[in-house]
Amino acid sequence: MGYRNGVTRIEEERKREIEDAIEYARSLIHLTGAAVRIPIEEIGQFNIVLSKGIVFNSRGLARMLKGCAEALLMGATAGKEIMEAIDNDSKTNRLTRGVILDAVASEMVDDSLDWIADYFNGQLRRENRRLTKRRFSAGYGDFLLENQKIMYDVLELGTLGVELTESFMLVPQKSVTAVAGIMG
Amino acid sequence: MNKNKFKNLFKRKIVVLDGAMGTELQKRGMPVGVCPEIWCLENPHVIEEIHGEYVQSGADVVYTCTFGANRLKLGQYNVSNVVEMNRELALLARRAVGKKGLVAGDMGPTGQFIEPFGDLGFEEAIGIFKEQVQGFIEGGVDLFAVETMMDIQEARAALIAVREMTDMFTIVTMTYEKDGRTLNGTDPVTALITLQSLGADAVGCNCSTGPEEMVPLIAAMKPYATVPLVAKPNAGIPELIGNSTVFTMGAKEFAAYSMEFISRGVNVVGGCCGTTPDHIRELKETVAGKKPMAPVRKSVSAVCSSRKTVVFEKDRPLRIIGERINPTGKKTLQEELLQGRLSRVRQLAREQEKAGADLLDVNVSVSGIDEEKKMKEVINTLATSSTVPLVIDSANSNAIEAALRVYPGRALINSITGEKKKIENLIPVAAKYGAMFILLPLTDRGVPETADERKEIIRSVYDKARLYGFTKDDIIVDGLVMTVASNPEAPMETMKTVEWSSRYFKCNTLLGLTNISFGMPQRKWLNGAYLAMAVERGLTVAIANPGEEEFMNVKAASDLLSNRDKDAFIYLKRFAGVPQGERRDASRKGEVPIDEIYHAIIEGNREDIESVLERAVKEEESAEKLVNDCMIPAITKVGKLFDSKEYFLPQLIASAEAMKRGLAYLDPYLRKAQSEQRQKGCILIATVKGDVHDIGKNIVALMLNNQGFDVVDLGKDVSAEVIIEEARRTHPDIIALSALMTTTMVNMKKIIDTVRQEGLGCSFMVGGAVVTASYAEEIKAAYARDGVEAVRVAELLARKARGE
Repeated sequence: MGYRNGVTRIEEERKREIEDAIEYARSLIHLTGAAVRIPIEEIGQFNIVLSKGIVFNSRGLARMLKGCAEALLMGATAGKEIMEAIDNDSKTNRLTRGVILDAVASEMVDDSLDWIADYFNGQLRRENRRLTKRRFSAGYGDFLLENQKIMYDVLELGTLGVELTESFMLVPQKSVTAVAGIMG
Repeated sequence: MNKNKFKNLFKRKIVVLDGAMGTELQKRGMPVGVCPEIWCLENPHVIEEIHGEYVQSGADVVYTCTFGANRLKLGQYNVSNVVEMNRELALLARRAVGKKGLVAGDMGPTGQFIEPFGDLGFEEAIGIFKEQVQGFIEGGVDLFAVETMMDIQEARAALIAVREMTDMFTIVTMTYEKDGRTLNGTDPVTALITLQSLGADAVGCNCSTGPEEMVPLIAAMKPYATVPLVAKPNAGIPELIGNSTVFTMGAKEFAAYSMEFISRGVNVVGGCCGTTPDHIRELKETVAGKKPMAPVRKSVSAVCSSRKTVVFEKDRPLRIIGERINPTGKKTLQEELLQGRLSRVRQLAREQEKAGADLLDVNVSVSGIDEEKKMKEVINTLATSSTVPLVIDSANSNAIEAALRVYPGRALINSITGEKKKIENLIPVAAKYGAMFILLPLTDRGVPETADERKEIIRSVYDKARLYGFTKDDIIVDGLVMTVASNPEAPMETMKTVEWSSRYFKCNTLLGLTNISFGMPQRKWLNGAYLAMAVERGLTVAIANPGEEEFMNVKAASDLLSNRDKDAFIYLKRFAGVPQGERRDASRKGEVPIDEIYHAIIEGNREDIESVLERAVKEEESAEKLVNDCMIPAITKVGKLFDSKEYFLPQLIASAEAMKRGLAYLDPYLRKAQSEQRQKGCILIATVKGDVHDIGKNIVALMLNNQGFDVVDLGKDVSAEVIIEEARRTHPDIIALSALMTTTMVNMKKIIDTVRQEGLGCSFMVGGAVVTASYAEEIKAAYARDGVEAVRVAELLARKARGE
């Protein structure tokens, strides 16, 4: 959004408008998520074999998962309603609010992956284990977007109302998936 | 051991729980990654040794090794005999400790997310926990422990599972983060009130933090606790050494904190991750002989959502229950509820919360609706989208029960009357879920006219509720407001009821205030006066529309004058000072219209731009001059502010929208003057095939339009064929393409190559999240980073096309 602390100055009226839009966004966003722990069977230089016959081809992901016995696949969505509101605002001369709704949805859905990671770390602590700090998403580096199909199927994102397009995009658009490793 | 024996135990001494299990198992040979429950059954001597050592160290209670022994987690290891496994592990613990210690059947989270965040149904979660409870009962445990809960709803599911199978003593502990809330945002007081009212016999916290960070959590809970408090911290904050998580706090240091716990009111102590039999031995020695602090109260008049508690007390400001989520007389809301949409419900919740509602009344009664189902749906929605506690308002007992079961907090029922059926149906339900209720003093014979008759009903309903364990803190008496238009005596009879209930019966009171003025003109004055009268007589809660300014102003004044608003904090907050934004308008008075137009665009003032332009036009300013000498310089200045980061995106868009609105207003005048200066060229803009996100493209289109380009926006996910077809038809000067993903970005090249082959002679501009300047160069297109740059690039391309 281009906000720079100490440089960007926002007049009171605009601040109120932004705060109202954030509140509005929060009332429209219905975060739902899913996560699955899957044992890692083999990590090669360029690929990772998980149990249930799941294979990811990615050197970057293989590097991140090195030394991990399990992987955590996670996904979350902000829901349909916020996207309808963003579309509607864009079409009805309320683009200012639409832009804020869009940004809030992006932040919240990303935060929900952090929440899932914290949730699992809370449980892994009892096993003296923890998640890798980094996580990989389909479309990042050499972990191709096509892998979104595997993520979608394993996480059963369809049950959360998420669809996958032919070009491997998640709909609603404010939906994300990621892979992290379980260390220890 | 029955509950009374437990209660006596807690009165006599600080009860000591055991320490960590997982780390002890690993120390004694359990490999990483195996299922601890299966491994324990295969190596029973190890778990027996650990239980035995904890008891020898002084633990009064050991937890069974069943933290993850639920259907979902065991299913990952292909184990299906859940009940049997929990029974065997309970028997094993019993064998290990004999009569020297008590055995608690231990249950942790299921590992899956419960609705509404996840897809694990609430009832399914209860069913999963019931399997463990069954195993524990068969295995002969003495009590139950629900622990390490991060979601209050999951803790509720486990507790309901226990309560629906046995009345045995049950401890529930939640896990809090460093900010003092659970991962889902529940604070310790809210968790305590929710769980103790639902039937937990002891409540507290475990895991997550070390003892030092846990002391304030216990201190916060104690003033509201009606049950013993539990602290089972880790051995300090874990440190990461290499790839291992290490707890470094030694036994003596760990035990030393127990004295602070005791002084803050803890009744039960133990250890979680990283603690050992040594930690428990030190703990036992430190707390031996220390007298525990009993709960400071027997009941608490408070309700809560999953994230907020509202306490009812006579010396606190009047509480407002927002009345607007009620379809009676609201056609839009009725239609939405029938159609299954809830956006209006959320909007009403948001508006009322913002206007100052402390609680929200929820009524979904519409003819032809499945009220039970709809109530659950609305409660689930509001439980996540609103932070204030809810009031379940229905004449349908089943709908009330359905709502109470799923509500992740302590709710208030609206209402239980003296009608025989209501008492029979609702008091047991309210008791089961620990809800508070509004006592409405009417009976099967109707509404009594006098205060004396109402007092009799209040006493009678309360006596029946007492049999189920209710106290006066758990009820709020409704004074029963009847309109002054139909009976001039009615207002004072209601006042007498409020005064008697508040001062002599000593419970909280409530009025549905606006009924008083029904049928009368200028209702706000009657509502306000009646509110002031009732506050003086001790009223604690009003059901009203918090959006009515006069009403809320009288409330603020009444709170101050009745000494409920200490230091006039709320009054001054409400009335002191005019917001900066309003002062700004005043300071602009007297500006000439052209300056006002300039500032309206700079400030993104979309509300006033048309009226200011209207004034300017009336003062015979030429539309063309307004655009060229005022609006264009203003939006250019906004672009510079954005470039220098003094403005960020919402401000840029607000200004662009003000500009757009202004141009639309001036359009007829510009046409009249036959101005052609504004047409800088035609731009065809689209987000390419495969990309379904187009807000960035919309921003660029808005900015270009404002600068005088004729923009043809084809939308998102547009195929190359459609773009090419449109290009053939419209002959644009520029084709602007946006892409969000690397996989879809390649479509840009395809389109550009095809258009070039057809010789359409236009320029290309590209942008979007993944598009870079070097990629643009590679496909022979101009690149724009954002909307402001897109305008500059488009102007340059247009000038080139004109040969300038």
